[in-house]
Amino acid sequence: MRNLFTIAAKDTRIMVRDRAALLVMLAMPLGLIFILGSALGNLGEGDSLDAEVAIVNQDAGETGERFVDGLTSAEEIDAVFNIHVREDADEVRTDVERGDLTAALIIPEDLTERITRGEPAPLEVLQDPGSAVTAGVWAAVVRAGVAQASAQIVAGHTLAEALAAPPSAGPPPGADASGASAGVSHGYPGEAQELELDAVRVTELEVELEKQVSMISYYAAAMSGMFLLFGGMFGAFSFVRERREQTLARMISTPSSTAVIVGGKALGVMLIGALQFLVLLVGTRMLFQVDWGADVLAVVLVGFAEVLAAAGLAMALAALGKTERAIGGIAPAFIMLFAALGGAMIPAEQLPSWLLPAQVFSPVYWTIDSFLQLMQGGALVDVAPNIGAVAAIGIALLGFGAWRVRYE
Amino acid sequence: MGSIVEVRGLTKRFDELVAVNDVSFAIQEGEVYGLLGPNGAGKTTTISMVSCLIEPTSGAITVDGHDSAREPGALKAALGVVPQEVALYPTLTAAENLRFWGSMYGLRGDALKRAVADALELAGLADRAKERVEKYSGGMKRRINIAAGILHKPRVLLMDEPTVGIDPQSRNHILETVKDLNAAGMTVLYTSHYMEEVEYLCDRIAIMDHGVIIAEGTLNELRDVVGGMDVVAVKVAGATPEVLERVRAIEGVEGVESADDALEVLTRSSGSIMGRLVSTLESEGAHVTSVSVTEPNLESVFLHLTGKSLRD
Repeated sequence: MRNLFTIAAKDTRIMVRDRAALLVMLAMPLGLIFILGSALGNLGEGDSLDAEVAIVNQDAGETGERFVDGLTSAEEIDAVFNIHVREDADEVRTDVERGDLTAALIIPEDLTERITRGEPAPLEVLQDPGSAVTAGVWAAVVRAGVAQASAQIVAGHTLAEALAAPPSAGPPPGADASGASAGVSHGYPGEAQELELDAVRVTELEVELEKQVSMISYYAAAMSGMFLLFGGMFGAFSFVRERREQTLARMISTPSSTAVIVGGKALGVMLIGALQFLVLLVGTRMLFQVDWGADVLAVVLVGFAEVLAAAGLAMALAALGKTERAIGGIAPAFIMLFAALGGAMIPAEQLPSWLLPAQVFSPVYWTIDSFLQLMQGGALVDVAPNIGAVAAIGIALLGFGAWRVRYE
Repeated sequence: MGSIVEVRGLTKRFDELVAVNDVSFAIQEGEVYGLLGPNGAGKTTTISMVSCLIEPTSGAITVDGHDSAREPGALKAALGVVPQEVALYPTLTAAENLRFWGSMYGLRGDALKRAVADALELAGLADRAKERVEKYSGGMKRRINIAAGILHKPRVLLMDEPTVGIDPQSRNHILETVKDLNAAGMTVLYTSHYMEEVEYLCDRIAIMDHGVIIAEGTLNELRDVVGGMDVVAVKVAGATPEVLERVRAIEGVEGVESADDALEVLTRSSGSIMGRLVSTLESEGAHVTSVSVTEPNLESVFLHLTGKSLRD
């Protein structure tokens, strides 16, 4: 069993002397993070997402109309979303399901009536599950608008009750949710935020964002997710080289079992991946001020799951390719496919809807999503299912590789 | 002393190809046992099965009392293996390579340090221990390749053509190393297609061809296979295949081998064929420069048993 670590340590030593591998695994991702992050700007600084969203106002009274005016007339919101005011709620629901719209707001037909009666009036916010980040921003915008609008409405319609009510302990929910929420207030001037309100309630808010992710942070997550898999390619190179140069045969002739040898090779890939991840974390933090989130353990576990996937990929590639040349051909294709599906090249929500189901097979997708959630304030509990998914993909690849790989 | 290696009915098939066919031999403790044969004879396949690298189709292997099927770990611990290729990590230094291979055989701490130092001394490369192996000459790599196989002081050392492609000086160093290891009590299974090496090193020899052992014994016992025969060595220019056919047809000629400008003729009556041999060669346009009669060697044995040269 100790030989497992002996093999892993030997592979790590060999890898850190391989300048070409270091260039691909460290210099390239850092360079790409810088180039893509710089070229594509910074979300937090107000660049547009160009996300397509829709509002359907079914309210017969004036409240819905005022709400729509508030959302569509705010410049800050317009800079981030392309808002379409639509008539048919069912059609909008279908468009969101298909991914043609990132998110939507549907205002019920009895909104004004309910508010007049002092009853809760639920709004319907629809989100494309494949565009969780952008849709989450939209939900936060709506929430902030609702908070301020409802304050206005109550101040106007039930003034006597409002004046009799005690002031709330803090600001309305969502008022600090995003920079864009300030834009809502342009459409709803007034000072009624101190009232405790329950007149309008937002339903189906699946993602609550506490902060946005800059493009350089996005690409730090994306490139890390992608380039950690390149460790798998170099791991496969190592295995095939050992097979060609007979060192693998020599290892098999030692008292170690093939399970220990395969395990040692996989552990080596993971050790190298862990070092690579550490350099990327520290490098992006120091060079680009990337904030990976407060939950360090969760960030480490996400990285660990991805390097497990890289180890699995190494064995699977070693099983599929007989030579380094063959692996050099198929490995980048696999990794790029995983990366494209996972949103490492363009945000995942901008992929065609028919491709979205395939994302579940990409470890890069789960990894990027996890990193983004953690950067936005998420915790281990939020990304645990993603970590499980990446680990499962890694174990499946490792199992396939160990089953199919040739040792001679 | 008893057998430390026993191989019984060993067979290996690769689809239609029978690489090793019902091979049996036993090696006594302290012996140097040679497997001699041309390329493709089945030597490496045999040694690969003994080292548990490939699984036999049938047959049994026992090393130091451990059966390969039931106790592969214990069997492998008793073996040291020197593969035909230089199986080392080129970007690691010689010392790093040896530390790795020593660790793989369970050596740790001071025992590992001592073993690495001893192995470097044996290889004559202690002063270059910190150089990367990729900077070594072919001969130096071969020496470290052997050193990596003996770190754990195995009871049996398997050496598969350890001198292929190296300079004469390194070859001599390796042959002397094998002699020294054997003198220190190590049993050696040595494969080669170089007759001289096997003659020099081995106490007993098995000659393999087409996956089977065609003769086995000490050097003298094998020479007796061609007992009473002589080898007529002729230096000749212009010996075409047609000329060789004419020579083979001479009465009393048991076999003919040619290489470059040399011809070796195996015969029981060297005196009576000499005249006809030279006249046949000259009449066919070949030019004879010298003729001599020598003792038969393993080459002659192989020629006698198979009708072809070890180099074929």
